[in-house]
Amino acid sequence: MAANTLHKTPLPRLFLISSGLESAEGGSLLLEQLQHLPSALPCMVQIREKHLDAKSLFLLAQKAVKTSRSKETLIIVNERADIALATGLQGVHLPEKSCPPRHIRSFAPALIIGCSVHSPESARVAEDSGADYLLFGPVFDTPSKRIYGPPQGVHKLADVCRTTSLPVYAVGGVTALNIPQCRESGAWGAAGISIFSPAGDFAENFDQFYRTLYQ
Amino acid sequence: MIPTAPFLCVITDEATSPLSLAKAALENGAAMIQLRHKSASGSQLLLWAVEITKICREYGALSIINDRLDIALASGADGVHLGQQDLPAAAARKLLGTSRIIGVSASTPEEALLAQRNGADYIGFGHIYPTSSKEKRFNPLGTETLRKAAALVSLPIIAIGGIDKNNAPLVIGNGASGIAVISAVTRAVDPDMAVKELLVAIQSGERNA
Repeated sequence: MAANTLHKTPLPRLFLISSGLESAEGGSLLLEQLQHLPSALPCMVQIREKHLDAKSLFLLAQKAVKTSRSKETLIIVNERADIALATGLQGVHLPEKSCPPRHIRSFAPALIIGCSVHSPESARVAEDSGADYLLFGPVFDTPSKRIYGPPQGVHKLADVCRTTSLPVYAVGGVTALNIPQCRESGAWGAAGISIFSPAGDFAENFDQFYRTLYQ
Repeated sequence: MIPTAPFLCVITDEATSPLSLAKAALENGAAMIQLRHKSASGSQLLLWAVEITKICREYGALSIINDRLDIALASGADGVHLGQQDLPAAAARKLLGTSRIIGVSASTPEEALLAQRNGADYIGFGHIYPTSSKEKRFNPLGTETLRKAAALVSLPIIAIGGIDKNNAPLVIGNGASGIAVISAVTRAVDPDMAVKELLVAIQSGERNA
């Protein structure tokens, strides 16, 4: 239950997920975003590139660590705690059906470990297994919803938040406009792939999200 | 920890239950099981890895996890097998320590040598013969290349790819410390018999080497 006391400072409220279009060479959005994240503002960045083999993911994670300019930026990787440890990332994000948190913790005690959950039941299981945070979604309709399934809505988000004492990130169609709804439902923060549209003004978008999340 | 006498490694595949395959292989004398399942979830892999490691201990055999060092660490398996597109061996070594095993796939004598320099404990070398188990981007290496690799590296070489009871003696005779098979066991009508026959073939190769 107290797993997240391992990490003395609260987790960032903003959670950026990579596009799924990265290569081992990087050069696309992820590294650019890491360069442009305001260095004073906390943000969690998840490398989620399921198509990459372990070697490419390892190389990309190494580049991400080198590129990141801020101690406030926590970089985590999808599923592969071994790659997180090998490249000095701060954490790992576990999709449902991953190796459970307590088994990851057994060899990676200092990593931030997060879990995707889709119900209050799986939230409980993840918390009991020692997760540090939960990711719940898709809350709203989203262009990339095929990844997450149909929208679950803010009421189910609230159910999950009531179930757990862990920070819960809302994911799926989250915008600066609906963040207040997520926060009212008990979400700790907001996560997304398209939070920062590549076409948009990154700094401006970030600022808008940041102000909405922390007000 | 890696056997000094020529041995058999059985690798799981997607079509067979890894647990029943491992049991059959171990009961009949395999010295190493490699859990390889690209489509299974992490939680499923962990369950298999824990169970296979347990049975391997009972038989004094080694449990090796393909690619997923995280699963190897979480399950307490004896080691990890890394392909050329997996984590670099040097990075894996830092996490796994020196008491556990790292195998690295190589398909040229130079790759084998590089793997040795990067801290591998054994080389998986192949494919030696044509094989249907995996899609291949190059022609079979043959026993001549195997012999060159065996001369170049001091590590044990486990030969893989199209090896069966008929060609296993020749493979062992050309410097392999062991052979690894997938379909020779998983697609056998009688997997128990297939393992037994492979071991007989390995031993006859040893006598003639």
